[in-house]
Amino acid sequence: MKMRKTVLLIVAVLILAVPAGVAANGEVNLMTWGGDFIPREVIEEFEKETGIRVNYKEVTSNEDMQSLLEANPDQYDLAVVTDYMVDILRQNGMLAVLDKSQMPNYANINPVYLGNYYDPTSEYSIPYAISISLLLVNHEEVEKLGADPITTYSDLWQEELRKKVVVVDWSVEIMGIVLKSLGYEYNETDPAKVAEAREKLFALKPNIVRFETNTPEDSLINGEAVAGFMYSNQAVKGNAADPKLQPVFPTEGMPIFIDSWVMSKEAPNKDGAYQFLDFIMRPETAARIADLTKFTTPNKGAEPLLPDYYRDNPMLNLADEVVENTSFYIGVERVLEEYEHIYVEFKLR
Amino acid sequence: MRTLKRNLLAVPILVWIGLLVGVPMIFVVVLSFLSRDNLGNIIYQFTLDNYRRVVDPIYLRVFWNSLLLALLTALITLVVGYPVAYITANLSPTRRALSLGLIMLPFWISSLLRTYGWMILLGNAGLINNVLMALKLIDKPLPMMYKFGTSLVGTAYMLMPFMIVAVFNSVDKLDRSLLEASYDLGASRWKTFFQITIPLTLPGIAGGFTLVFIPALGLYFVSDLLGGGNTVFLGNLIHTMATRGRNRPLAAAFSLGMIALALLVLSLYWKVSKDKTGEGLFQ
Repeated sequence: MKMRKTVLLIVAVLILAVPAGVAANGEVNLMTWGGDFIPREVIEEFEKETGIRVNYKEVTSNEDMQSLLEANPDQYDLAVVTDYMVDILRQNGMLAVLDKSQMPNYANINPVYLGNYYDPTSEYSIPYAISISLLLVNHEEVEKLGADPITTYSDLWQEELRKKVVVVDWSVEIMGIVLKSLGYEYNETDPAKVAEAREKLFALKPNIVRFETNTPEDSLINGEAVAGFMYSNQAVKGNAADPKLQPVFPTEGMPIFIDSWVMSKEAPNKDGAYQFLDFIMRPETAARIADLTKFTTPNKGAEPLLPDYYRDNPMLNLADEVVENTSFYIGVERVLEEYEHIYVEFKLR
Repeated sequence: MRTLKRNLLAVPILVWIGLLVGVPMIFVVVLSFLSRDNLGNIIYQFTLDNYRRVVDPIYLRVFWNSLLLALLTALITLVVGYPVAYITANLSPTRRALSLGLIMLPFWISSLLRTYGWMILLGNAGLINNVLMALKLIDKPLPMMYKFGTSLVGTAYMLMPFMIVAVFNSVDKLDRSLLEASYDLGASRWKTFFQITIPLTLPGIAGGFTLVFIPALGLYFVSDLLGGGNTVFLGNLIHTMATRGRNRPLAAAFSLGMIALALLVLSLYWKVSKDKTGEGLFQ
């Protein structure tokens, strides 16, 4: 008797475990970062409206997405990858040319974010979320230390800031700060300029308290650092936790990252994928996504619909002159080995 | 005939290990001799360049750094863990079970969470600093985070149970009559401990040392979080090269370097413990 009850229970659990409304109109398989990068509620709304089921695979790096897509191009329809990975996937012939006529809402995309180096003709990718790197500064504490106000990268070298700076942990970005402070471009290959940057980089070591990629803003919130170089979504979090932490857009220029939608060349459900992309680019959907994810939206149509706090925040609603002062890390592969070597030497000092 | 039967039984496990350890291992070895193009794709072209880069003086210092961390970790776990194991082995059966249970308990919690626990404890706005400041013992937070020592403490904490259990097993098997004989012959407690107990539990010490040393080479997230990324260990380097560095051949060459370090320690273990089969490591 007891046995039968157990069996019935197991059967019941198994039946309930099968999702309701099984893919009446097919499925769309997408992959990208976890942490609600594409908000669940938006996906659910799409599923309800179209009857298409969305399978969301979470990954932790662009390189993982590349491996998955190249191993099984016919198992994924869509992915959101960072700019440089669009370039790699495009050159490796993994991406489908997007048919804009299937997506009337494509017209909402701000042309400022189109035609970049990774997809010069904007045939393979659609921008989804934009972020930049910038400085987050506790001006009050900087003054207390007797240092000059921080407005540029060069100000980070001040002796008063000993062990008071936190930075994201990636050779290309830290070399980027140094190169920009010297007036050069990102990913410089000229040996003389790289040698100059190397010396200047070493001089920064005493000021750095911590290298942290995931939560650098915490170091400013708990007071162990007074200035930090981080991604804009992290600076937004830090500023929300403590309004004394203010963004500084370094005058020398900032890096920009555009996470973009791409479609697999062998996507099993291209129609469903186009429906999904078009849904994502609706002004009201894009505004909701921007509000939920705290990334800058490339959707011009969404701008009037953004909440006040978002529109008033210079880190979210990026001013045109800020965007004009940004650049991509282009050609990382050409410099990486040398930068990585310099970076290890820098850390061992 | 009987040995043949016994060997037949080993076939499934050999196939299992061959597929899941052997094949990936061969893949890593082959990978370490290949090149890559500018997009990070692997090119099937033989090169020794990866190894030439591994022996670069800067990268050799990373090896030294990792070796130092792993050695010190193993020493700390030995000094702290030996007494715990020794006392536990001499407890009554119920207490002994309780003690072993408590030693293993942290394994039920994700190691990442336990690392964050250390951050909450040691941070500038952390528990220790808050208490000391509230007691007016200090007026400025003591900087305890983001140092080599912080990484060391975290790694040692993470691997302590391996040492304790390894030593516990050898203390447990110790023939007590030998200790009594030592006392009967007039040796003091200390003399007995150093001349009888330590030599007889040496296989356990060597086993624990090996079990701690090898994973200590690879626990790079502890040094990232507690060390604040202020120094570079082999694990960090391999991780960066394999992911964002898009240089898997070089990562493979570094991995083989790390395996060489681990084999070095294993060969020391074989020498010290005379345990040619490695059985002692798994008891």
